[in-house]
Amino acid sequence: MIRFENVSKTYKNGTPALKDISLDIEKGEFVFLVGASGSGKTTFLRLLLREELPDQGRILEAGRDIGELPKWRVPYLRRNIGCVFQDFRLLPNKSVFENVAFALEVIGRPKSTVDSQVPQILELVGLTEKSKNLPGELSGGEQQRVAVARAFVNRPLILLADEPTGNLDPANSESIMALLERINRTGTTVVMATHDKALVDRMRRRVIELDKGEMIRDQVRGVYGIDEGVTLS
Amino acid sequence: MRVYIRYAVKETFSNLWRNRMMTIAAVLTVAVSLSLVGSALLLKQSAAQASAQWQQGTRVTVWMQPSASAAELSNVQTELANLPIVKSCQFFSKAQDYAEALKLLPQSETSVLTVADMPSSFRCVPTVPANAFTVESTFANQPGVYKVTAPEQQIREMNRAIRILQIVFLALAGVLLLSATVLILNTIRMAIFARRREVSVMKLVGATNWFIRIPYITEGFIQGLLGSAVAMLAVTALHTWYPLHNEFQLNTSALVGTNAVVLVVGVLIGSVGSAIAIRRFLDV
Repeated sequence: MIRFENVSKTYKNGTPALKDISLDIEKGEFVFLVGASGSGKTTFLRLLLREELPDQGRILEAGRDIGELPKWRVPYLRRNIGCVFQDFRLLPNKSVFENVAFALEVIGRPKSTVDSQVPQILELVGLTEKSKNLPGELSGGEQQRVAVARAFVNRPLILLADEPTGNLDPANSESIMALLERINRTGTTVVMATHDKALVDRMRRRVIELDKGEMIRDQVRGVYGIDEGVTLS
Repeated sequence: MRVYIRYAVKETFSNLWRNRMMTIAAVLTVAVSLSLVGSALLLKQSAAQASAQWQQGTRVTVWMQPSASAAELSNVQTELANLPIVKSCQFFSKAQDYAEALKLLPQSETSVLTVADMPSSFRCVPTVPANAFTVESTFANQPGVYKVTAPEQQIREMNRAIRILQIVFLALAGVLLLSATVLILNTIRMAIFARRREVSVMKLVGATNWFIRIPYITEGFIQGLLGSAVAMLAVTALHTWYPLHNEFQLNTSALVGTNAVVLVVGVLIGSVGSAIAIRRFLDV
């Protein structure tokens, strides 16, 4: 589903963000991206969204080199990638329903699709009752669930999550993780950047660790820290 | 497609309404500047038309007294024919002059005229335009001559005045058009700023660039359109109630042409304003 071939990226100010990364992520995988701040996690996600282009190497998504994609095709690429962020990025003056519906409306989906898909996805995230509420009236965990619903309502092939639990308490983090797992079980590839050690350790999923732009670990059923004597697999 | 049109219309009008003060300022500036452009164009056309009418006509006209006798007429005619500085002369009878007066003067003035009141006249072309004054001084005091007119000089002076007026109009219009463009640019920039969250989410979920841009482009387009509509009304009013003589009156096709220019320029500055705003402030 996702393949990096010797990808390097250096920002204009000279900071190297990623150095010679090669990896494969299969369809339906759940991958944690860990590492300290500035290790290149966000750059990794931005490259997947083609908000940045690599300086060297190729990135393939669903078998296609996204660097070759003409600029006007980029929005269509993004329709296949759902995104969730630490700060939710909901529209404060739209209700929960409208926030999710917006994602379908702006890609030109007809009203009939909106009316059938949005209630379905709100039920999946457990917010049917709150569909008329504004984001400001919800807890952080609920807001993040709305964000997940918005990211997933178009049934993307890939779901990217950048510190989705960073602003949440453990109980809410837990419910978001459960939600991401459910989405993953539908066959969606999930890539999640996180700092949350306990969460990664408990999930026992594939862990890719970055350090100063280099991939120092890629472990199939990993834990957060590398103090347990694991090696690059 | 239908979904999109509804979306674009809704967004456009809610943007216009949200920034209504700026929108009004932009529309009025467009309207004032385009009214000036339209007036300058009308002025130019009617001046050109009037002087063309005069120039293909006579350079010097010797007007006879309405009561001039046949002897006085033939006298003047012979002298004109013998004058070397006069290239050619044409005699206009009272009836011919009357017909011309009907054509040139407003009805309010011609209604009291009769053929008998009209002077007959000699329309002469001097060998060089400057000789018109010699003809004038030679014949002004001849018996039976009412008046000698040489409009060349007046035409030239009037044309100069019109040209200056036109330059002033167009310069003012240019400055105003520029400020109208900046105002439109600014309203759209404000609309984009007010919607920056929406725009970032739209980009995230894969809305196409044109989907994001079009509401802002139509916003500028509509501001330009409204401005030119007001200007077209002003230009049409000017054309209808032209406070000028018949020689200056323009036909409807001149008005339609001028309004077309006003419309195109208005829509153009609206679109240019929004295009610049989108390029600079809408990062898609």
